[in-house]
Amino acid sequence: MKLGVVKAYMLKELTELLRTRLIVMVYLMPSMILILFGYGIRMDVSHARTLIIDNDQSKYSRALTSKFEHSRYFDATVTQMSEKEALHRIKQATTDIIVIIPSSFQKRLLHGQKSEIGVFVDAAFPTRATTMESYVQGVILNAAQEATQNLGTPKGLIIINNRNLFNQAMRDEDAIVPGLIGLVLLVAPAILAALLIVKEKENGTIFNFYASALSKREFLAAKLIPVFLLHSVNIFILFLMATKLFDVPFRGSFTLYWLTSELYILISLSIGMLISVVTKRQIVAVVLTVIITIIPGFLYSGILMPISSMVGESYIEAHMFPVMYYTHILYDTFLIGEGLASAKTQLYLLILVFYALGMLSLGTLFLKKELK
Amino acid sequence: MNRVFWAILGKELLAFLRSAGLVAMVLYSFTIDIYIAGEGIQIKPRNVHIGYVDETGGGISQKILTHLHTPEFLPPKRYRSQKELSRSIFNKETLVGLVFDREFEKDFRQGKKAQLNVLLDATAASQSFTTLGYLQNIVLDFSELDLPVAIKTHKLFNENADNKSFMALTELLSVITLLIVILTAVVFVKEKEEGTWEIMLLMPVDPRLIILAKSLSQVFIVMAGVVLALGFVVFGAFHAPMNGSFWAFMLLTFLYSFSSAGIGLFVAAVSNSVLQVAQFSIIIMMPLIFLSGAWTPVYAMHPVLQVLSFFSPLRYYIEGSESIFYRGTEWIDLWPYFSGVMLLGALLYWYGFRKIGKLF
Amino acid sequence: MADLEVHNVTVSYKKKVAIKDASLKANAGEIIGLIGADGSGKSSLMHAIAGVTRFEGEVCYGGVSYRSPKEAEQLKSDIGLMPQGIGLVLYDTLTVAEHLDFFADIRNIQKNEAFKTYRQKLLHMAGLTEFTNRQAGKLSGGMMQKLSLICALLHRPKLLILDEPTTGVDPLSRMELWEILDGICKSEGTIALVSTAYMQEAAKMARVLLFDEGEIIASDTVKALIDSVGNYTYEQTACENERCFSFDEHTYSLEPLHAPHTEPTLEALFFVNALQKGQTLPHIEIEARESQDEVPQVVMEAKGLTKIFGDFVANDHVSMNLHGGEIVGLLGANGAGKTTFIKMLLGLYPIDEGELYLLGQQIRSGKDRQKLKSKIGYVSQHFALYKDMTVRENLLYFANMHRIAVTTALSRINRYAKELGFEDYMDYFPHELPLGINQRFSVAAAMLHEPVVLFLDEPTSGVDTIARAQFWQILQGIKKKWGISILITTHYMSEAEYCDRVVLMKEGRKIADDSVKVLHAAHPDAKNFEEIFLEYYRSKR
Repeated sequence: MKLGVVKAYMLKELTELLRTRLIVMVYLMPSMILILFGYGIRMDVSHARTLIIDNDQSKYSRALTSKFEHSRYFDATVTQMSEKEALHRIKQATTDIIVIIPSSFQKRLLHGQKSEIGVFVDAAFPTRATTMESYVQGVILNAAQEATQNLGTPKGLIIINNRNLFNQAMRDEDAIVPGLIGLVLLVAPAILAALLIVKEKENGTIFNFYASALSKREFLAAKLIPVFLLHSVNIFILFLMATKLFDVPFRGSFTLYWLTSELYILISLSIGMLISVVTKRQIVAVVLTVIITIIPGFLYSGILMPISSMVGESYIEAHMFPVMYYTHILYDTFLIGEGLASAKTQLYLLILVFYALGMLSLGTLFLKKELK
Repeated sequence: MNRVFWAILGKELLAFLRSAGLVAMVLYSFTIDIYIAGEGIQIKPRNVHIGYVDETGGGISQKILTHLHTPEFLPPKRYRSQKELSRSIFNKETLVGLVFDREFEKDFRQGKKAQLNVLLDATAASQSFTTLGYLQNIVLDFSELDLPVAIKTHKLFNENADNKSFMALTELLSVITLLIVILTAVVFVKEKEEGTWEIMLLMPVDPRLIILAKSLSQVFIVMAGVVLALGFVVFGAFHAPMNGSFWAFMLLTFLYSFSSAGIGLFVAAVSNSVLQVAQFSIIIMMPLIFLSGAWTPVYAMHPVLQVLSFFSPLRYYIEGSESIFYRGTEWIDLWPYFSGVMLLGALLYWYGFRKIGKLF
Repeated sequence: MADLEVHNVTVSYKKKVAIKDASLKANAGEIIGLIGADGSGKSSLMHAIAGVTRFEGEVCYGGVSYRSPKEAEQLKSDIGLMPQGIGLVLYDTLTVAEHLDFFADIRNIQKNEAFKTYRQKLLHMAGLTEFTNRQAGKLSGGMMQKLSLICALLHRPKLLILDEPTTGVDPLSRMELWEILDGICKSEGTIALVSTAYMQEAAKMARVLLFDEGEIIASDTVKALIDSVGNYTYEQTACENERCFSFDEHTYSLEPLHAPHTEPTLEALFFVNALQKGQTLPHIEIEARESQDEVPQVVMEAKGLTKIFGDFVANDHVSMNLHGGEIVGLLGANGAGKTTFIKMLLGLYPIDEGELYLLGQQIRSGKDRQKLKSKIGYVSQHFALYKDMTVRENLLYFANMHRIAVTTALSRINRYAKELGFEDYMDYFPHELPLGINQRFSVAAAMLHEPVVLFLDEPTSGVDTIARAQFWQILQGIKKKWGISILITTHYMSEAEYCDRVVLMKEGRKIADDSVKVLHAAHPDAKNFEEIFLEYYRSKR
């Protein structure tokens, strides 16, 4: 390899990135995605707007309503409005939940009779509806248990003692942000790399490569090294944002995080480069990269669904994209902290190494030093 | 409307139909992309891997386990020791681990409080949390407890909490937003790229007419795409309900896409190539989409974002569309959405119109 | 054995054969010219020899033979390639100096004293010494071409392949380019293969290859080639039969005519070849216009028009008139401000200073122009046509924009198609057609509304000889039958001779404005207009 030649090409690449202001994209896009998604996606429900129609107005009914009022999950209002009017509120999307306590609630309770509590949930947003439903049930059943305990000793009670591993408080940030890093470091480098070669093809400057004695490997090295170095900075920026801005704990080895991320960036760049090699127009390259990276990035990063829950094709697809292997190690370094002690981490790291080598060789293979 | 207007409109539609790339992108976005979103993005637990360690004889524990069935759960897998179980959770092969210890059955039979230990992989917070809710209900049935209340829940508008049609609809709304901006901008930028811009300027035609006809042509394309997406995917594949007025939705969509074309005009004014259009559109539209409540209801957002979301026309459009599709809201109650879309839309269109008008 | 031998090279893209069985030989120090219409296979052959495209056949250079780009790899350090397209191989955001450093580095050149001297020499020859810190994107077309050329020369290639290095370059820059090239070939013993659209340039070369439809149909010295068509060239005369063509004081005919023979030029090769192949060159007839608009005495009057971009004065108080029924050529080097001037006239750039009268009306704002737009026709540098529409659809669209009644529009379109000779191409897309056809149909589009004045900005750049000849016949016809005025910019100095009057611009200022005859009288030594042009540019520095 002629180092001087590669250096000159790299210098040119860097100058172009700076002067075309493409460098803004390198640093703006990852941070923007992390902030928007990190703040934007909330899986758990808080402050659900709840209307409680208390038709009983008794000690017990008030005990129940106060449980709602003191929960951070609900913004509860106790009213006297009619059921019809309340339902209308839901239609207007100003209320999410209606809880109706029947008029003879306390009387029946004291007589040991069952009374029915009506709950209406706005299911226009289905997953949230399911979550809200279980919250409401939890609150009511909890109150009921307390009430029965006061009334007499129960038999054969099973209580669940749950331990929330890795994310004690079940914070959404902890669950999402590491996955987002996996998404961001897949998409951003890939889009940048996708432009690198196809841009020269579209402008005609690719002739400089065709007509020179530069080898394919030298050309690829010159293209990839500058963007690789630029994106490496993102590893640290994203780390700081995750730990400082989103307060995600970091329990594992930073070195592992850092090195794996570098490897992963290399893979993302190679994917983009591969697209750049096979396409002819910049816009096609960008659209193709977006389609190829964003959807799998979302689906297989573990943000939306754990890999273990996948069956059939999606299970196979998840194993075909690099994002699953990387986010496994990411979640480990942030939340778990097993590190290289885990055989699975070692395996995944190895897979990533081979992935990178494979993509790079494919790029070299497909790159042709001639007009098509 | 005069002849020049229709000539421009027709020309743009023809040009669109002839550019295979754009047609492919629009078709893909309005069908496959929406289908993938509906089919692929499932947040409620499905196929959850459960592992357990059973140190009891296996009476109650097995009964509890039989309640964990498909499609939410995969058949529970038995581990020989707690260590093995936690290994599996650490490797993220198991999401929820149940530990029935020796005391569990004894305590239960004796009428004491029996403790069931549950280990949750909280890196997948929402799935494990919902799973916990399921378990609590199952366990409650076992407790010989005669609770004095029964809960009767109605999931209004979408009794089965069918997530697919909802995700598909949300994706459709995002696709409309992104495409109208990109398409409108491309129509103008293509003239810049191909050098026909000057020819356009030299036509004895009022620039306002050109801008209007050009942006309207793209609105038509998007509306056609919407019909396609509704017919084949949203109603066709996912059987979304339509509790409100179909025409209210179409009208809202028309108003919305027409006004969002204003963002496209703005993008067209500041970019010189199709590539720049793609970059600008993504940078501008991503925040708009996220502020819209497409993923998280506005009231659950960070307070600062809540305020900002008032300025996203997509917010009114999404809330309005959800209301029409699911809540079946009547025309009269839709006014906040219509006025939000129209007010912000008029502003945006006016701004974009002026921005591109300066280039004429 | 010659230093460069090309044996039976065939290049094909998908199913289309671009060049078939091309062979040539060249020795050190020779400059070989490649001429032919666009799409005749020149570029493909050059790409094959440069080893940047796959080909069949064999190329031998300096005893090394190669049959594929891969095998050519070992010779790449000896080859210099400058592909077609202005500034194609330049990076817009890099400066001139950075380009030279970059090209030196990727060629792995030792940056010793000898190199520095050579670099300085090249920069000086290209006249770029003062512009080393300017970004390539901000150079004029001519400067870009000169920079591309010296970048290709930097590693002292033994085999230099230049694909239309002078297209779109003004005569002055062209002269300088040739000086660089001549010098290098003589001193370094370089073989240069150069394609060109300027026949005066081809005339300077040792040998010329004539390309036609993917084949080399003639290969000889310029003199021999010219002699070969001497029998068919006559002084201009009227001829009735289909198999003859008259242009620029010559008549070419395969059948003997009763007219004296005259000395042919290289252009004659193209005409005679076309006639020999039985291509009927349509006799262009323009009919009178339908509307009866009076063409005023003074169509356009510019008084001290000035345009400033930042601190760069693009037009410095330019004044000129355009009278009814005259063709005025606007000439000048790249970056002299011709396009800026036309764009100001059209209102595409706002006027910074000065007064403009169009058709007797002073232009103060965009509103003043709105009414005049239907009286002005414009053809831009790049033949701005809508790519997604066929020729017919394009024309119909323009007719609609001008609100021409449908029946009138249809008949007019058909008439122009016949008159301008693109009748057979009505249902093709512009990119499927040769440049010459596009150029004619752009003119048709600009004439649909029967304007009283036409502005043409470099309409003949890159168009081949025959198409250019026909284009000028069209312009002459329009002028004669319609009596309208035409303002045209061009880089072909030979075309200046067809104008009634020429306006010469230099560095944003007007330096001459007179009829060709008067200018010739003032410069009796000049053999052609190109020399007059160069004299102006050299003297009044």
